[in-house]
Amino acid sequence: MKNIITKTLTSIALLLSTLIVGCGPSKPTLNVYTWSDYIDDTLIAEFEKTYNCNVIVDTFDSNEAMYSKLKAGATGYDIIIPTSYMAKLMFEQNMIEKLDLSKIPNSKFIDKRYLTNLAFDKTMQYSIPYMLGYTCIAYNKQKLGTLDNSWNVFAREDLKGRMTLLDDMRETIGVGLFYTGSKINNTDDKALEKAKNQIIAWKKNLAKFDNEVYKIGITSGEFLVVQGYSGDLLQVVSEAKHLDIMIPREGVSISCDDMVIPTTAPNKDLAYKFINFFMEPKNAAKNMAFTCFFAPIPEAKSLAKDIDLDRIFPDVLYTTGQLIMDMGKDNKKFQNIWDEIKMTK
Amino acid sequence: MIKANSRFTSLIITIFVIIFMYLPIVMLISMSFNASRYGGAWTGFSLKWYVALFKDHSVINATMNTLVVALASTFFSTIIGTIAAWVLNAYKRSNSQKLHYALIYAPLVVPDVLMGISLLLMFVSLKIELGLATVIMAHITFSVSFVAFTVLARLQDFDFNLIQAAQDLGASSTRIFVKIILPLLLPGIVAGAMMAFTLSMDDFVVTFFVGGPGSTTLPVKVYSMMKHGPPAIINALSVVFMAVTFSVAIIGNLLARKKKSTLIIS
Repeated sequence: MKNIITKTLTSIALLLSTLIVGCGPSKPTLNVYTWSDYIDDTLIAEFEKTYNCNVIVDTFDSNEAMYSKLKAGATGYDIIIPTSYMAKLMFEQNMIEKLDLSKIPNSKFIDKRYLTNLAFDKTMQYSIPYMLGYTCIAYNKQKLGTLDNSWNVFAREDLKGRMTLLDDMRETIGVGLFYTGSKINNTDDKALEKAKNQIIAWKKNLAKFDNEVYKIGITSGEFLVVQGYSGDLLQVVSEAKHLDIMIPREGVSISCDDMVIPTTAPNKDLAYKFINFFMEPKNAAKNMAFTCFFAPIPEAKSLAKDIDLDRIFPDVLYTTGQLIMDMGKDNKKFQNIWDEIKMTK
Repeated sequence: MIKANSRFTSLIITIFVIIFMYLPIVMLISMSFNASRYGGAWTGFSLKWYVALFKDHSVINATMNTLVVALASTFFSTIIGTIAAWVLNAYKRSNSQKLHYALIYAPLVVPDVLMGISLLLMFVSLKIELGLATVIMAHITFSVSFVAFTVLARLQDFDFNLIQAAQDLGASSTRIFVKIILPLLLPGIVAGAMMAFTLSMDDFVVTFFVGGPGSTTLPVKVYSMMKHGPPAIINALSVVFMAVTFSVAIIGNLLARKKKSTLIIS
């Protein structure tokens, strides 16, 4: 009995001591807070080697959770990769740094078209665009043939009960807004009313609003048309020959995750070097192959040979794509409409 | 006739309960061997997700963090929880112990989000750097209650005459502790420790809030992978994770049963 207790005690003491020794400040450390599987490990290893430092990557699962944690006072992170609307909000609340672009010489590689047409932060005052994705439709080519690229596919009564739209307030109302000729961040009451009626008209043909199961449903054949995120759907389609992607001409929502430096960052110099490193075209190309998302760096496009970038982010999105913005007080309008849509039988 | 009928009904109910509880787990285990990325259709048996899992540096790191946190928080919460149970039992009638009881009871009923955010606010205002240490402290906070209540249940049928008898025979208090109290309470303590370990392994909400740079644990990693990342790796990871949690729980149960039956709060 005594023996077991002493053994346990020693092993725990050993464990704790290795922990403390392991944390010894030998090299500078860079703490990155981001989504899971969003940065190529080999690039991180290369960065560590080049700048003789340690990079620690921690993950969050939603912008809102990350925001509330930081707002409550959590510190220690040098780089955060939130979605654009959240970066904007964080900047307005002085939670992130105003960037010194002279420390990020590679920012010159960022696509001007992206900045002028799509971005909120057009001058890269506080954020550097990292990866882009969009929402689109995946459909069963085998059963339906090639579809006309329009959101109006949801009006097809012959597909009743075999189609899904996302269960996401802004994305789904956004589809209604696009189809009725409006913009995704439009808060005009008349436009919203039209969008609402459009979604309600389509709703009777839908199996459901869904965020998770559609990926499985479309491969198994349960659903024939689904709205979803490009990162997921492209991978689904690459695995199943009978499926294809369709990008409605009326417009699609785009989401961009940005690299930002929190004001509390302990190691800002290294953070700048990190951003600069990932804006290097050859690194961006490698990173795109790993994530299946699109870095808005034109020079990287010619370097990324193994992946089909025209599928990952087709050019047409520069004109038909729009970023979802946080509407502040007007979010309530969207909420009310969303409730009405959900309640209509 | 009536007897046979009710037996039949309870059998049916049992079968349904087992199906409801274990079918998703069986599905998950079989899907982790599916070659397809999203698992919509069976495209063949494959171990590739397990290979990918064990190659994934960040997942291994998160596993190490989880184990360190679980072991450390179990160790400390077992000691603190056992002492708390002993004191609560010894001074049942005092008013200050009633307050103590309420304090120990609170983490069982307080929602995780509340606990996570309030602990975070406390650490921030005390200027304690967030990291593995704060995660361990937070886990000790909620684990103590579970250990205390498990040991307390064991103390309910503890025969205190044994201690008096030992004192009569001239045993020192250390000797009484090592030879009588500890062996008799051990099943309760071990069961409590196992529960603390399991809870710590599974916790997401509290860990997310009080964690700092470099303290991502498996549950936190998994939640992020659900949104972003290959879902099939999560299946493989869940199977590994479940195997560990289950075996710990089973060992805990066996130990508790060996030394006669004990009350386990679950």
